[in-house]
Amino acid sequence: MAKTKTDEKLQKIAKDLLESKEISLLIGYAGGSNPGRMRPFFITKPEETEKLSFGKYAVQDLAVFLKKPEVKKFGKIGIVVKGCDEKAVNALIQEFQISRDDVKIIGVECNGVIRQNLADKGETKVSESTVYDKCLICEEHTPVLYDFIVESEEPELAVSGNVKPYADIEKLEAMSAVEKNAFWAKEFDKCIKCYACRQACPLCYCSRCIVEKNMPQWIDTNSEETGNAQWNLIRAYHLSGRCIGCGECERACPVNIPLMLINEKMARDVYKLFGYKSGKDIDAKPVFGVFAESDFNDFIK
Amino acid sequence: MARIGVFVCWCGSNIAGTVDVEKLREEAAKIPGVVSASDYKYMCSDPGQNSLRNVIKEQKLTGVVLAACSPHMHENTFRKAAVKEGLNPYFVEIANIREQVSWVHEDKERATAKAVDLMKMMVEKVKRDRPVEDVKVPLNKKALVIGGGISGIQAALDIANGGVEVILVEKEPSIGGRMIQLDETFPTLDCSSCIMTPKMVEVNQHPNIKLYTYSEVEDISGYIGNFKVKIKKKARSVVEKDCTGCGECWNACPMHKNVKSEFNLNLSERTAIYVPFPQAVPLIPVLDRSVCLHFKKGGKCQKCYDACGPKCINFDLQDEIIEETVGAIVASTGYDLMDTSMYGEYGYGKYKDVISGLQFERLLSASGPTEGVIKRPSDGKTPQTIVFVQCVGSRDPEKGVPYCSKVCCMYTAKHAKLFAHKVHGSQSYVFYIDIRSTSKGYEEFVRGTMEQDGAIYLRGRVSKIYEDGGKLIVKGADTLSGNQVEIAADMVVLATGVIPKKGSDKLAQMLGISYDKYGFYTESHPKLRPAESSTAGIFLAGMAQGPRDIPESVVSGSAAASKILGLFSKNEYEVEGTIANVNEATCVACFYCRRVCAYNAISKKEIKDRSGKVVKVVASVNPGLCTGCGACVNACFSKSIDVKGFMDDQIYAEIKALAI
Repeated sequence: MAKTKTDEKLQKIAKDLLESKEISLLIGYAGGSNPGRMRPFFITKPEETEKLSFGKYAVQDLAVFLKKPEVKKFGKIGIVVKGCDEKAVNALIQEFQISRDDVKIIGVECNGVIRQNLADKGETKVSESTVYDKCLICEEHTPVLYDFIVESEEPELAVSGNVKPYADIEKLEAMSAVEKNAFWAKEFDKCIKCYACRQACPLCYCSRCIVEKNMPQWIDTNSEETGNAQWNLIRAYHLSGRCIGCGECERACPVNIPLMLINEKMARDVYKLFGYKSGKDIDAKPVFGVFAESDFNDFIK
Repeated sequence: MARIGVFVCWCGSNIAGTVDVEKLREEAAKIPGVVSASDYKYMCSDPGQNSLRNVIKEQKLTGVVLAACSPHMHENTFRKAAVKEGLNPYFVEIANIREQVSWVHEDKERATAKAVDLMKMMVEKVKRDRPVEDVKVPLNKKALVIGGGISGIQAALDIANGGVEVILVEKEPSIGGRMIQLDETFPTLDCSSCIMTPKMVEVNQHPNIKLYTYSEVEDISGYIGNFKVKIKKKARSVVEKDCTGCGECWNACPMHKNVKSEFNLNLSERTAIYVPFPQAVPLIPVLDRSVCLHFKKGGKCQKCYDACGPKCINFDLQDEIIEETVGAIVASTGYDLMDTSMYGEYGYGKYKDVISGLQFERLLSASGPTEGVIKRPSDGKTPQTIVFVQCVGSRDPEKGVPYCSKVCCMYTAKHAKLFAHKVHGSQSYVFYIDIRSTSKGYEEFVRGTMEQDGAIYLRGRVSKIYEDGGKLIVKGADTLSGNQVEIAADMVVLATGVIPKKGSDKLAQMLGISYDKYGFYTESHPKLRPAESSTAGIFLAGMAQGPRDIPESVVSGSAAASKILGLFSKNEYEVEGTIANVNEATCVACFYCRRVCAYNAISKKEIKDRSGKVVKVVASVNPGLCTGCGACVNACFSKSIDVKGFMDDQIYAEIKALAI
């Protein structure tokens, strides 16, 4: 595949950073197992940067690797991020999981990534009907924070409004509590407790997850009704006001539970109630960790 | 194997009237692990406690559950009894079947069922109790008193006389506070400065007191026994150790008619370099740089410097930050008068002869602007008729505050009395809502003002005051006779309500103590712990807590002092062991716990290997600051923080006990 200008610029930045030893590891993308896929690519030597690439198939949120001890041990790390993924880096900085000084953010402008299931079938066009819902509501085509920026060659994503992102949220909101319960019971029934959603999430970084706490065992480990509901609820709760909407959990889910409906609904509610959006500002106080005398308490009946 | 004893208390008929105590005892006996279940009329009585001790001894109990009143009442009593039998105090659990059951329910059967549930929960909890040791915090035996009014002075002197070092910080150039502004004091009419100045001098000369005037507390961190305090000593422009207080400087200052005297509440003027009043302690002037010609006109004027014998005036002096470590703090920041601009109809600020009670004190005072002769601010004439208006701002939820300012009834009676004494043949009128004169000698004092000194008391409010022909026309209601009254007065004195000192809320935030919606500092317990704030090691005194008169302020100062001396009588302070505890193995250092901690009790801790390399960062709890509130427990995603005595498995067991 011919090198694009984006790739050239990316490679140059990466090479310089590695050569000058400003970073000892770079996390980026390279071509994947088929033409419609890109895979995470880890580089420690300047000469390896030639394979570095970025494009409309760069679906994965690479920020997930920043929490791994195997990655952390490299110290200074460079990372290639889209606007959505970059918010995860910000949230990790906010939550003291990485230091701003230890990460070089190579932001790439992104005008949407093609849904992987479509790309696998040969879809090559970035359009309203081929990108993820998150791309349609994206406010960060250019990342909010970066050390380097690489411009996009894709044309701006045309949004006609014909495709409604997360349309099911409104349907769910219209449901009664009983109907909602039935809806989610059916979805959670599919859960096999593989915890892929957790592993794919850049913000699920606890070294011992609450589901692994067994003295006492608050969350049932079996993949039956109680345990499934407990897990999915606690996952949603632990991400409320934190989820940056990269959608990796839903993409990772082998049984297709629509987890982004929960995440997006939570994000909307948090914004409505507290005026807070996650990952926008590394100096902001996460809404989960602030309290004020003026906090409303009319939910206490 | 757990050997649990359950003790059901009747509390006379308080519990037994609504809860079937025998049934409760029988149910307790059925629980696995319970080796003894008994009931008794009053567990807290001596025989009750003795039976508890006997069972612990004879049955070799490993845990005790008392189904009784709130742990607030007697947890300590029973813990002490258990400790005497060698049990760790935290192996005593209380199932509150009084406040949470018998007092709030009527149906005996259902109340008993609830009591059984609560008791079962506690049995399951106590089975999982682990010994908790109280934490000992070393004490720096030095005290900080913030505010040098009468309550702060009293506290400082009492602490210092107890042999403890005290640092007294006062914002103004002199100590003395509001009391030194007063003329004579009710109900004995002794002159305020005569009884106050000896105390002020004693503070200044006391070997155990370090006095910082014209200084402010800039920052406070730490906890009981170990507060780090930063004090800003504002530049006085006078070298204190050389100054003799001779007064040559302020006599030489050309700014003698331009600046209103704060001490005299704008009724007179002061110079740029000044002492607020002749008996100031320390008697060292302050140069007010905001008005001094030297600073305003580029250093030309230095008349004070020229006049100064010991040449102790230094225009280059800078603010200084002094750092101190203290073990306890008294917050005695005092009060201000309310702004009465919302009472436009009274004309305060518009008519010169409508003044506040505190201003009237200055007119009465021999050291005041009129040397104790009552003169109208407008034309200097001696008034013959004065109208006193009570409750200006106080007891007025609409415009002012709903609370009573407490001192106004008495000082108004005093004002009317002193007016009668000083201006013979004069007449005073007092508009009041109620007369509150409840302390020793107070009622007699007010009666005397009415009966011997001829003050006319009118029950009602004033609706309007306006000037007419050199007189102030006061229109009001006499609700007892049902008449509208109109009085032509020479002067009107408003009994303006009191509010907390400006900036006291900021100080409270710095100290981490709570205050009410008006800004008055709140006590740890309004009745039983009136001298203690909500934060350990910080004590309260004087008007900062709410309206009170001089005797009460003195008492509160002494109370705070005695609390501190009691605290310092030991070398260490014991903090309850039920505080947060971090599981360092699973903590990922996201610090949500630190974000939600209201007591700043959580900090970052670096775990290093032998070579000194940081291998892990975790949250760490400061036992001196942690109150065991548990906010951090909720905030922790990985459940890596627990409160000792309320561990996760214990709570879980309690919930499970309910499910079976």
